[in-house]
Amino acid sequence: MKKNRDRAWYALFTVPLLFIFSIVVIIPFLIGIYYSFISWDGIAANPKVFVGLDNYARLLQDSRFIRSGWVTLQFTLLALVIVNVFGLLFSLLVTSKLRLRNAARTMLFMPNLIGGLILGYIWKFIFTDAFRNVGEATGWTGFFFNWLLDPQYALFALVIVFAWQMAGYTMIIYIAGIQGIPDDVMEAARVDGANMWQRLTRIIFPLLMPSFTICLFLTLSGAFKIFDVNLSLTGGGPINATELLAMNIYNEIFGYNRYGLGQAKAIAFFILVAAVTVTQVIITKRREVQM
Amino acid sequence: MVAACGNGANEPTPGTGGGNNGGSGGMAPISIFQSKVEIAGELEALAKKYTEETGNPLEVWGSAGDAYITQLQARLTANEGPTIFSVQPGEEAERFKSYYHDLSNEAYVADLAEGIGLEIDGKIMGMPLAVEGFGLVYNTDLVDPANVKDLASFTETLKQLKADGVNGLSLSQEAYFLIGHLINTPFSLQEDPQDYLAKLAAGEVKTAETPEFQEFAKFLEVIRAETTNPLEVTYDRQMGDFATGRNAMVHQGNWSYTMLEDFGELNIGMMPFPLMGNDKLAVDIPSAWVINGKASEAEIKAANAFMEWLITSETGKNAIVNEFKFIPAVTSIEATDLDPLSQAVYDATQNGNTMPWALNYFPPGIIINDLSPLAQEFFLSSSMTGEQFLERLDQIWANAG
Repeated sequence: MKKNRDRAWYALFTVPLLFIFSIVVIIPFLIGIYYSFISWDGIAANPKVFVGLDNYARLLQDSRFIRSGWVTLQFTLLALVIVNVFGLLFSLLVTSKLRLRNAARTMLFMPNLIGGLILGYIWKFIFTDAFRNVGEATGWTGFFFNWLLDPQYALFALVIVFAWQMAGYTMIIYIAGIQGIPDDVMEAARVDGANMWQRLTRIIFPLLMPSFTICLFLTLSGAFKIFDVNLSLTGGGPINATELLAMNIYNEIFGYNRYGLGQAKAIAFFILVAAVTVTQVIITKRREVQM
Repeated sequence: MVAACGNGANEPTPGTGGGNNGGSGGMAPISIFQSKVEIAGELEALAKKYTEETGNPLEVWGSAGDAYITQLQARLTANEGPTIFSVQPGEEAERFKSYYHDLSNEAYVADLAEGIGLEIDGKIMGMPLAVEGFGLVYNTDLVDPANVKDLASFTETLKQLKADGVNGLSLSQEAYFLIGHLINTPFSLQEDPQDYLAKLAAGEVKTAETPEFQEFAKFLEVIRAETTNPLEVTYDRQMGDFATGRNAMVHQGNWSYTMLEDFGELNIGMMPFPLMGNDKLAVDIPSAWVINGKASEAEIKAANAFMEWLITSETGKNAIVNEFKFIPAVTSIEATDLDPLSQAVYDATQNGNTMPWALNYFPPGIIINDLSPLAQEFFLSSSMTGEQFLERLDQIWANAG
């Protein structure tokens, strides 16, 4: 009797979610796999032609796609390091005895609440007009010029905006991790004469491994899949230099009307991101220390 | 079909939209989605007036500039398309042709100027509202057209203006204003532009070996060297600076006059882009309004009623000529009191001194997807020569074919 009631509760909580998940994620995904084997221009009245693995062969030779991949890789590595370093620094700052730590925590997290699109437009204004005017006024044009017109600096601009958005989020996760470290362990370490650096690397970091797992995973997948900031900050420019993978797929489908090829790229993208993030989770999980 | 178009009837046929419809409308609600950002505000005001005068509801969907086609396609595929939408003649119109409702039998297409309706498979499927033209819009106080007749005098003029502290020519970062319209001239100057385009896509001819393009490349180099970087300029800024005398010329069309209205009387005119001694403005129909054939019977009827009202009622005619600032494509609407740019285009049309828009026949999306990034690269790197630009152009066309 109790088991049936338990099952009923179980179903009540999971079935609606499962239902929505399959309609919004699973079914379109399966349809997408089917679309990756056809050639179609998006107009309902025009035919869908079955082309087999042709799309996959084409994407491997698409130099713009490969370059998008490299740029996304560069972006992801930079973003990974910067977001997590700053997230960690902020969390250490906010869990210390600093008087303003509560205010600091709120302000450091606020950028995450602003939508990516708006963030991109705000920073776009800063990197173009604001930087240019400051450069002209002060003469420091080595640093203050229109970053978004230079392919290399436009990528750095993207990293900065993404970091600004995500550092607060990872900070929160690290805070939870740090607060989960028992006080007596830290106390014992201090009594035994461990200095700040030793406490940090020998005690805090190993015990923070679960948080590292989560944060690295989130940053990795978030950076790989980034689209909204990419669109609003650089639009893929200049000269398609900052066209990251998601944007390349979007342009393939909606710019060139090659739905089949774009979908094949999307499937390839999925496999790539899944492989990378699962690998990362396995590696960091092995290094987690159980208290 | 034959009776409706080209029967020479020049009188506007009295229709249900000619005046009040009894006030309470009774027609299905319809929507318009079109790509011209310049008339967005005026179109919404017109929609309100239409509903007041006839009682029929009309909704205007916000237009989106460079992203218009993406949005249109998404909505049409989802079966939530607008009742009336605009398409560019050529590839774009061909692509969406399965969505059009045949307009050949409608009264209002009877007054279209000769051969100007959007025809697919011999039937009139689209209603152009305006003819448009573009060229070098110039400030008459700063530039004398006699000094801009060929590459040499063009360069001289730019250098002179630069020495006087004025930006000679301003392009702007949007795809069409950066390169889309500019590159139309060398194509339109070919003997048979559509034939040339087909050969270019097949790789049988190369722009790098065609004289018009070789000179065009030199023009690009001069523009890059003597004027401000167009990638730093938006459409707003381009026209604002033109109105305040900071830009002496802009490569624009008569539609841009609506951006200058707030500045009062300006001494401006339009002259042809002097490639190979060209003396023609590029004039054509930029887009046609089509009715969504997949809409319901009632909606199609309501859409036709609106189009009829637009062409025949006083409010509609007034809107077309005075508020949208269109040069009407129908002979039944008088083109009086035109602004200086529209006047220049109108005069050129009357004198037969025009060349068509070859860009209507470019492969779909090529301006936004490929020509714009190429132009960005050209204007950002001072080391890219005109010849390299042409070589890349040839590659782009071969890939897009």
